[in-house]
Amino acid sequence: MEKMIYAIVSVTRDTEKLNAFLSGIKGIAGADLYAVCFNEISAVVSDKERATLIADKSSAIEYAEVIELMAAHFTLLPMRFGSVMESSDLISKMLERNYIEIQNNIQKVENKCEFGLKVFCDAEKLHEELRRKSEETANATPRASLEIRNSVYVDYVNKKLKEHKLEELLLNYVDSVIAGISGYVDRLQAVNKFKKMTTALNIIDAVFLLEKDKKDALIHAVGELQNQHASLSFILTGPWPPYNFVDFIVK
Amino acid sequence: MSENKILFNTGSLDGLSEEIGKLINTEDSRLKLTPDNADSGLAKLVLTLVELIRKLVEKQAMRRVDGGSLTDDEIERLGETLMKLEMKMEELKKHFNLTDRDLNINLGPLGDLM
Amino acid sequence: MHDNVIDRSKDITILELLDRVLNKGVILTGDIVISVADIDLIYVGVKLMLSSVETMERLKSGQAIVDMKIR
Repeated sequence: MEKMIYAIVSVTRDTEKLNAFLSGIKGIAGADLYAVCFNEISAVVSDKERATLIADKSSAIEYAEVIELMAAHFTLLPMRFGSVMESSDLISKMLERNYIEIQNNIQKVENKCEFGLKVFCDAEKLHEELRRKSEETANATPRASLEIRNSVYVDYVNKKLKEHKLEELLLNYVDSVIAGISGYVDRLQAVNKFKKMTTALNIIDAVFLLEKDKKDALIHAVGELQNQHASLSFILTGPWPPYNFVDFIVK
Repeated sequence: MSENKILFNTGSLDGLSEEIGKLINTEDSRLKLTPDNADSGLAKLVLTLVELIRKLVEKQAMRRVDGGSLTDDEIERLGETLMKLEMKMEELKKHFNLTDRDLNINLGPLGDLM
Repeated sequence: MHDNVIDRSKDITILELLDRVLNKGVILTGDIVISVADIDLIYVGVKLMLSSVETMERLKSGQAIVDMKIR
């Protein structure tokens, strides 16, 4: 029977606690959950044939809920939705092969959880503001030669150049905001990852990994950041299981 | 999921959920080639790479123009070439019925190609 | 809070959750599959791993003779 893996947990003395916990909750479509072990690491699984796995929103949510419930009680590495292996035997071999990497990753996320911070801008306003600033500096150093010639090709280059410059300005601006955010979260000893300009409005998509009890300090820091950047909107979410901080690929 | 995980936000969330939705790649990241779409499937793969290189070239060109090391003639010829490349790309996209959104490959944990 | 705001908050929570569970987390295998005529032919795996599906299957079942991963 094929197995769907929800998460990998480390239970040094608590195998019984894990089993008792798993008997109290259900997996996707009400399936029973159980642990497949190698030494003190366990994969939490339920029986699931790959062919019958429907990748729809509600199963993904059910899957995530199992991970969420477990994360409240155990240190775990969440698996990506759709992780199916052929048998318990192969799973325990997989745990054995990846033993060291799993241990390292579990250590990294122990007692910590993930928070997400998304920063949105009013694209038009921001572009306008940056453009205005850039024109001020551009006037100081004019490139007259580009203006004199009257050619569609030169016009085209000028248009592209403007877009290019706006993009650079935008990136510089985003970098400065990120530097501000880093200043705050570094004080909380958070591990952070930033993505820039994911859409026209979402200028920063960041995730932090920090100790569970620093949640309020983080909320406070984001409040301060919001005050400093009144034209941007900050959305902080969490706590999440450490989805973004389990950077290894099972061998 | 009854729990609300939003810890901090100000003002209106209107429109932002739509924007966040754009970030999620729920589509199958498989590049599928079948007898029916062999043309467009292969075109998608090839054009994605061509478009990536075209954008890199354009970006590099703008750095050179901005740097001021090019003569007017060079800039004019550069403009002509870049413009024609862009127009050709538009033509190809139209021909194979592809949009800008199609011209991307999801590289899993590495993110999107572009 | 208005119902509207609660709905939006819920929407965003669910979107954030889906993004994580679908696109993040530990990965079992390479992610991109190029299939021809519905037959999976090439995995373009993470970290520049390029192998045939057969090799991938062997890798997965732990019988690989040659490890094709470039690390």
